[in-house]
Amino acid sequence: MTDVASRRDAGERPAPPERVVTLTVNGRSYALRMDTRVTLLDALRDRLGLVGTKKGCDQGACGACTVHLDGRRVLACLTLAAQAEGRAITTIEGISGTDGPHPVQQAFMEHDGFQCGFCTPGQIMSAVALMAEGRAGSDEEIREFMSGNLCRCGAYPNIVAAIREAATRGGHDARL
Amino acid sequence: MSTVESRPRIGAGVNRVDGPRKVTGTAPYPMDFSVPGQAYGALVQSTVAAGRIVRMHTEAAEGAPGVITVITHENAPKVGTGPVTVLGASPPPPLRDDRVVHHGQHIAFVVAETPEQATAAARLVRADYEATEPLLDLQDPRAEQLVDPWGTDTSRGDSAAALESAEVTLRATYTTADNTNNPLGLFATLAAWEGETLTVHDTSQWPSMVRTCLAMVFGIPESSVRVLVPYVGGGFGAGLRAWPHVILTAMAARMIKRPVKLVLTRPQMFTSVGHRPSGVQWLSVGATRDGELVALDHRSLSSLSMEDNDYEPFAWASSFAYRCPNVTTQDRQARLNVAVPTSMRAPAEAQGNFALESALDELAHSLRMDPLELRLRNHTDVDPRNGLPWSGKALLECYEVGARRFGWSDRNPEPRSMRDGNWLVGYGMASALFPYFAQPCAAQATVNRDGSALVRSAATDIGTGTYTVMAQLAAEELGLSLDLVRFDLGDSDMPNAMMAGGSGLTGALGNAVHDACRRLVRSFAELACGDADSPLLGFSPDDVECTDGKVHPVGRPHLGESYADILARHGLSELTANGNSTPPVATELGMSLAGAYGAKFVEVRVDADLGLLRVARVVSVIDGGRILNEKTARSQIIGGTVGGIGMALFEDTVTDPRTGRIANGTFADYLVAVNADVPEMDVVFVGEPDRGTATGTKGVGEVGLVGIAPAIANAVYHATGKRLRELPITLDALL
Amino acid sequence: MRAFDYVRATDTREAVRLLADDPAASCLAGGTTQLDLMKDGILEPPRLIDITRLPLHGIEHRGESVHVGALVTMEELAADATVAERLPMVREALLLGASVQLRNMATIGGNLLQRTRCRYFRDPTVGECNKRSPGSGCAAVQGAARMHAVLGASERCIALHASDLAVALVALDAVVHIQGPAESRSVPLTEFYLTADVSPERENVLEHAELITGVEIPLPPSAARSGYLKVRDRASYEFALASAAVLLVVEGGTIRQARVGLGGVGTKPWRAYEAEHVLTGAPATTATFLQAAEATMRDAWTVPGTEFKVPLARRTLVRELQNVSRVMA
Repeated sequence: MTDVASRRDAGERPAPPERVVTLTVNGRSYALRMDTRVTLLDALRDRLGLVGTKKGCDQGACGACTVHLDGRRVLACLTLAAQAEGRAITTIEGISGTDGPHPVQQAFMEHDGFQCGFCTPGQIMSAVALMAEGRAGSDEEIREFMSGNLCRCGAYPNIVAAIREAATRGGHDARL
Repeated sequence: MSTVESRPRIGAGVNRVDGPRKVTGTAPYPMDFSVPGQAYGALVQSTVAAGRIVRMHTEAAEGAPGVITVITHENAPKVGTGPVTVLGASPPPPLRDDRVVHHGQHIAFVVAETPEQATAAARLVRADYEATEPLLDLQDPRAEQLVDPWGTDTSRGDSAAALESAEVTLRATYTTADNTNNPLGLFATLAAWEGETLTVHDTSQWPSMVRTCLAMVFGIPESSVRVLVPYVGGGFGAGLRAWPHVILTAMAARMIKRPVKLVLTRPQMFTSVGHRPSGVQWLSVGATRDGELVALDHRSLSSLSMEDNDYEPFAWASSFAYRCPNVTTQDRQARLNVAVPTSMRAPAEAQGNFALESALDELAHSLRMDPLELRLRNHTDVDPRNGLPWSGKALLECYEVGARRFGWSDRNPEPRSMRDGNWLVGYGMASALFPYFAQPCAAQATVNRDGSALVRSAATDIGTGTYTVMAQLAAEELGLSLDLVRFDLGDSDMPNAMMAGGSGLTGALGNAVHDACRRLVRSFAELACGDADSPLLGFSPDDVECTDGKVHPVGRPHLGESYADILARHGLSELTANGNSTPPVATELGMSLAGAYGAKFVEVRVDADLGLLRVARVVSVIDGGRILNEKTARSQIIGGTVGGIGMALFEDTVTDPRTGRIANGTFADYLVAVNADVPEMDVVFVGEPDRGTATGTKGVGEVGLVGIAPAIANAVYHATGKRLRELPITLDALL
Repeated sequence: MRAFDYVRATDTREAVRLLADDPAASCLAGGTTQLDLMKDGILEPPRLIDITRLPLHGIEHRGESVHVGALVTMEELAADATVAERLPMVREALLLGASVQLRNMATIGGNLLQRTRCRYFRDPTVGECNKRSPGSGCAAVQGAARMHAVLGASERCIALHASDLAVALVALDAVVHIQGPAESRSVPLTEFYLTADVSPERENVLEHAELITGVEIPLPPSAARSGYLKVRDRASYEFALASAAVLLVVEGGTIRQARVGLGGVGTKPWRAYEAEHVLTGAPATTATFLQAAEATMRDAWTVPGTEFKVPLARRTLVRELQNVSRVMA
């Protein structure tokens, strides 16, 4: 079996196209030489070690990879890293302040807005954006505009309660 | 010693101790781990459901950029087989030979330098097959049927004769779809060998078992295998087995002498980590005109894969759910060319209870009787199988509280009688139970020099709150504040724990933690009571308890001293004790071990023309025994309810009838409930601590789901006058 | 994903030239369809031309029409004040069309070009697909077909066009502006799409080196009322089982103008001319609406699993005609 590993040296075959991409993540700038195929999600997770952003489907259907691009919530799995160049990227690692958790994070803890916790970073990134969009006015509105974030544990009622509270506590001007 | 009776019946709604990590994205899930030098794996899966691989074409993949190796059945090393567990034999190991038994079976494993390269190269692997016609239909007469595969069939009295002579009879057939567990976390495995020592990060609900399996498969001692899973990312049963992809990843790492990481894709989650099997159930119910059950015959047939097993006795619980003198239950499985089914939240009960509780609703309507009254009339406080009292069953209280909170009596019992504009309004209810289940557990408790405590066990927290409630239990037993107690789990090097499954872990592990903490307190008491410098000198260690961080004679805290003082005086840095729990035996207890019970009340709305079906409100009243943490327990019930809404309205893993391929294997196509589908919920806990176990808890992970689907189906009948016996109930059936 | 060169275009002519130079190249805008299909192995362009930074981001109001740049996102268009006021059916179709995250990414041009959700099309291991490989057959016709099309469908292909927005836009006679290597042209959206019973492999009239630069939406008369009804299993975040975009001008109980688009049922966004014919000049009553719905679905072609869509589409249309005419009354 050992010859399997040594049979092919790197460089024997044509390398896939690469590109240097400069990403600005949570206010910090990173220059990365990457395969052009690398998505923003994989760049964050595999190249920058920012594993708080989750991969739940890699097909744009679950919302676990929600990040903010220039302040708007998007899916990192269907965004090429190269497309995010020059844009301000905010991830779950970038929303807590030095003075403690973001009000939405605090409200999620108080209301038990998660169980396994895997979808939680995406839910919170979505919730922070939702409040900035002015869509936390009623439970019905919160439910509709949070429906792009699946939670298989079924924490939805508690997520709604958490967002309701964060919004009524004046979270509209929450850090974003 | 303190007793459970002195503890609050419903524990404080403490925030999860792992909350800060989860909301900041710093809780590490299996896919989040990386080690230097790791390579990346990608699976190749069969594109036929039955037959044989004639030839594998791996050249293109092997020549693709970054590819290190391609493993197929032609070059895979022979490996051993995993253990037989309480869930049956381990899944057959991968790449054993050229046979294909289901679409989506792993037939090759590509390893490359980057995930992009591995995924791209996996698409280049081709196989030539000699395909045969797959068996895909549950009722195909050619399919092999397993009769009473678990020895759970029951029979008492003479149900056939009683049905024959019953004043009223009802016969109906119910079907339930394949559902896929689909936790949000894609399953991931990272395997690294150092010589003959293997360390694995793996999405598992049962790391102790994965360790045993990998040791047996690779022929190494269990002490050379370590399985780590501090955070799971959801499981719902999918993490209860050591799946072939886990073995493949470890196999590849061993072959290339580098760590290998594999993250399944969402479509692969539909064929690689189990699913809730589809089933058909035949119910025959006999009753008197005033609603007394005289006969019940419940039979099921569910789907099974060709070469694996799954514990799923749909009908079994009907033998003890109600008082009825003549009962027959039978469960059968049909072997098909489908991916292996496995437990999915409330295995067997989710399906069996749907059929039973639908049938009772049908019976009630045919008797023109309140469906709730029918349940009350057939309630039993003893286990009808053996006449023993239940160790705890507050089902009557569930009914009473639920009916009141829901406003059950406000309903017009006539079907299709309630309306709100275009919406037909319907009320439905169902009874729910999830049977008792437990396995042996062990835990270790340590109090350190500074008075803080560390309690450990190789359990997992799949979102149920194990980290939190075990820390709460230990804090209570040790008389410490919660912030001084840490509970660690998710490491197979820790004392053995059962799986996070079957609603069993909280009870079984809780008893082990309770035992470890009691033994630890006893050790401190023995030290102090024999120590001339201790205020406890002369007291019996039997009469010592711990409160507010002090070890003291029962009821006399002023005579206490701290753990730290005792350790310091004896020159000890820590004191440790081990605890165990084994499941109690009913005959020894003189009680039948009760699982959790519940009553579910649901309001649905059905658009009269468009068939749209929406759940408007749900009241769940649960007897979960002693509730350790009201907040996390409530979340379990809410989550189970959402799973039940999904099962009732949306979830249907569709198999292509010709090829056996999953036809909707993505999150865009396989529908689970989204936020907008879920109404506000009312959850209430009633009952007393269970008398069968030391901590008095019952598990609440599954009972939240049970009963939701039939309550919805019954409400749909009430709203529309249409009896739907097939899940999921989609608008096509309501047009 | 197969490896590809990534090129970022900076102006529209350059993008078109890059496309013309490479017959296998594809454009990348919001990425919500393109990257998804590349991950599935359905699209394998050796070169991706990122057009997201082209100057096609504006929404302009020119007289009685709204000109929407191809790269305007769904969220941006839904937030436009004129769209909200004069084109409620467009706004509703946008808001019901996808999650907020996807709407922040997906562009109007890309949305018009979105590909079918057919899981037989989207799985390269399925051999029979006339859309991917003409002449190979259609696995969906004999497969699990609940989500598939019944209008413009045949045994050759039943792949559904899943857009909501395009359903509203075909009803409004929107016009697509296209830049080619040599010249630009404008195509009414009603003539832009091809049905799968005619050409499964070709979904629209766009040629390889042509780029959608924008869409022009004529504003309806101010007396018009419109709405979009989407029927689906889930309460949110799902493609339509059936949908109806309806615009009516009713005067004194008589329908003066009617525009109807249907979604969730066609292999292209469906303009229901038959319904409009029945409605125009007729009294705004449920009897008329039933007649219109009947006329629309007369040519439906179903397979086991899609039959329910015929009554469902009829009822959806009737309901939305009732909803819109009620607003007028």
